[in-house]
Amino acid sequence: MSGGGPPRKRNFKIEAFKHRVELDPKYAERTWKVLEHAIHEIYNHNASGLSFEELYRSAYNMVLHKYGEKLYDGLQNTMTWRLKEISKSIEAAQGGLFLEELNAKWKDHNKALQMIRDILMYMDRTYVPSFHRTPVHELGLNLWRDHIIHSPMILSRLLDTLLDLIHRERMGEVINRGLMRSITKMLMDLGPAVYQDDFEKPFLAVSASFYSGESQEFIECCDCGNYLKKAERRLNEEMERVSHYLDAGSEAKITSVVEKEMIANHMHRLVHMENSGLVNMLVDDKYRDLGRMYALFRRVPDGLSTIRDVMTSYLRETGKQLVMDPESLKDPVEFVQRLLNEKDKHDKIISVAFGNDKTFQNALNSSFEYFINLNNRSPEFISLYVDDKLRKGLKGATEEDVEVILDKVMMLFRYLQEKDVFEKYYKQHLAKRLLSGKTISDDAERSMIVKLKTECGYQFTSKLEGMFTDMKTSQDTMLDFYAKKSEELGDGPTLDVHILTTGSWPTQPSPPCNLPTEILTVCEKFRAYYLGTHNGRRLTWQTNMGTADIKATFGKGQKHELNVSTYQMCVLMLFNNADGLTYKDIERDTEIPASDLKRCLQSLACVKGKNVLRKEPMSKDISEDDTFYFNDKFTSKLVKVKIGTVVAQKESEPEKQGDPPTG
Amino acid sequence: MLGKGDHHQPQEEEEDTGGVVKLISAEGFEFVIDKKAAMVSNTLRNMLTSPGGFSETRQGEVRFPEIPTHILEKICQYFYWSLHYSSGKETAEFPIEPEITLELMMAANYLDT
Repeated sequence: MSGGGPPRKRNFKIEAFKHRVELDPKYAERTWKVLEHAIHEIYNHNASGLSFEELYRSAYNMVLHKYGEKLYDGLQNTMTWRLKEISKSIEAAQGGLFLEELNAKWKDHNKALQMIRDILMYMDRTYVPSFHRTPVHELGLNLWRDHIIHSPMILSRLLDTLLDLIHRERMGEVINRGLMRSITKMLMDLGPAVYQDDFEKPFLAVSASFYSGESQEFIECCDCGNYLKKAERRLNEEMERVSHYLDAGSEAKITSVVEKEMIANHMHRLVHMENSGLVNMLVDDKYRDLGRMYALFRRVPDGLSTIRDVMTSYLRETGKQLVMDPESLKDPVEFVQRLLNEKDKHDKIISVAFGNDKTFQNALNSSFEYFINLNNRSPEFISLYVDDKLRKGLKGATEEDVEVILDKVMMLFRYLQEKDVFEKYYKQHLAKRLLSGKTISDDAERSMIVKLKTECGYQFTSKLEGMFTDMKTSQDTMLDFYAKKSEELGDGPTLDVHILTTGSWPTQPSPPCNLPTEILTVCEKFRAYYLGTHNGRRLTWQTNMGTADIKATFGKGQKHELNVSTYQMCVLMLFNNADGLTYKDIERDTEIPASDLKRCLQSLACVKGKNVLRKEPMSKDISEDDTFYFNDKFTSKLVKVKIGTVVAQKESEPEKQGDPPTG
Repeated sequence: MLGKGDHHQPQEEEEDTGGVVKLISAEGFEFVIDKKAAMVSNTLRNMLTSPGGFSETRQGEVRFPEIPTHILEKICQYFYWSLHYSSGKETAEFPIEPEITLELMMAANYLDT
């Protein structure tokens, strides 16, 4: 059709194809046959002679000319027929080769499927969506599933083979994991439902009964520690199995089966097992076994709470025995040390084996709180423990060590319900330490006060701090006193005064006694000095608290320096003026209260090695009819002799120092 | 239009799919293009990557008995145009002469490109 007008554009005709395509069914049938042949060739591994383009074009033509349905149905039928043949060959496979044959044919099928889909791409793109057919690839998988996997002969055999292999591996054999991997992957490719229904569910059921049996066997013959080792091993095995040839989604399911069968079902029996259960592990510090138990029990409901409960009742029981044991009550320091040891032991267990689990910490704390308070002397004993440490126990220890010990003691302190009882005793013990100068380290003392303050607040420690202040002030006062008054005092006895603020210190009422004249003089000088500088105060001598160092000369001229209490000093000084005195004389002259006087005399006359006085009669006890003589024949290897006072009660009084020499 | 024989297209991109492929038109004209360019067409991509060794992959050439030379040429140009402008740096229109539109569309449909 050419004509007028500019010949710029040439007229075009529409001619789709060079080769005329006929639209009749016979052509369609022929075209289909070409494709059908190709499909067979593909399955026969004979594709090399085929031309992709030609096949693609054939399919293209069919679809274009509305023969899509014929093509699709033809495909479906051909593949189905093919798969039925394959199914027979798989069924025929002997014994061990069954899985391999299945796997090999699956690989072939996949490859063929891809090729087929490629050449039928046009149909897949256009016909399939429009007519709501299953896409080629999916169709191929479904047909495989229906005709191979779900073929009755194959399905049960497949499942049995897989389960048998897994069982054998559990019993120690080595199996072909790669093959297993391919098979399970195949099942997953066919759809999660296939994997789950045809494999996973039966797998889990069989595993449950396997582990149920095995756990029963183990628990009859193993102790707790070994059983747990086996359980742990099986658990790890299953996880490893999943990672190698099962679908990842199975992991949680199979581990939960093992946990239930091996752990949850036997929890109580394990924990309470005689000679090897939880309590034994705790006693023997079996960290690894405990750690294993913790890790395993954690996985099951109520696992950890079971451990915790048994541990708690064990702690309470042993703690209770500890605090109620009459033996340990005899030695307070030992008592507290044992408590600290228990705490340390269990702290370590919780930290090493239980991963510092807070709930276990809490259980430990509550148990300690429970039994520590069962003994109402616990506060006193803890204070005595600290007293011991601050007097001698921590001698030579580094600052760090001191902190560590004090912190541990504080932990016990926190458990006490009667903290004010502790404070009362602590005050007494502290006073004694301060006044006798027997504390090893001021820093350590102060550190303890700080800790108590942090724990209980300022009110709790204000008096204790007052005591420290008094000590310091007294030192300064004495320096000043001697600086100002040394001429006046001359050669008199040397005085060392501690001025205690009433209210801060635990004092007992002190009835006055008659001090020797020499002492009295210097004491009054001090009083005058002090009240001169401090208005509105009142001083009371605590004669029941002091000490004295006296020089004494005995029969053969041997000199000794005696360290005695104030009362003892008053008694001894009387013998400067008389060789023998009756009890009543002494009582009248010193005015010391009767019970104190008796103890005083007892320590001076009745204690071996310390008998600077001689008593008539030589009985053990002091009676009001006794007479006392200065013991010329006294001997001692030591030059300085300390004469303590016989103790009447556990709580001994704090002392006040005084140093009058006498001749 | 050039005569029979090889018709080389300018190489726009690096040859990282390794190699070339020969496309032969209905009249027998051979166009040698990079595989990467050919893969712009989904059909050609499937063809070249399909397992199983169809004859095309083994011989490295594809015959299109249905596609005329001038259309095939245009299509090859389109492949390179697509590669060049797919990075999105610049845009330019791909020139299509109106008279070949329909044939081109049909070939494009066939080649899924």
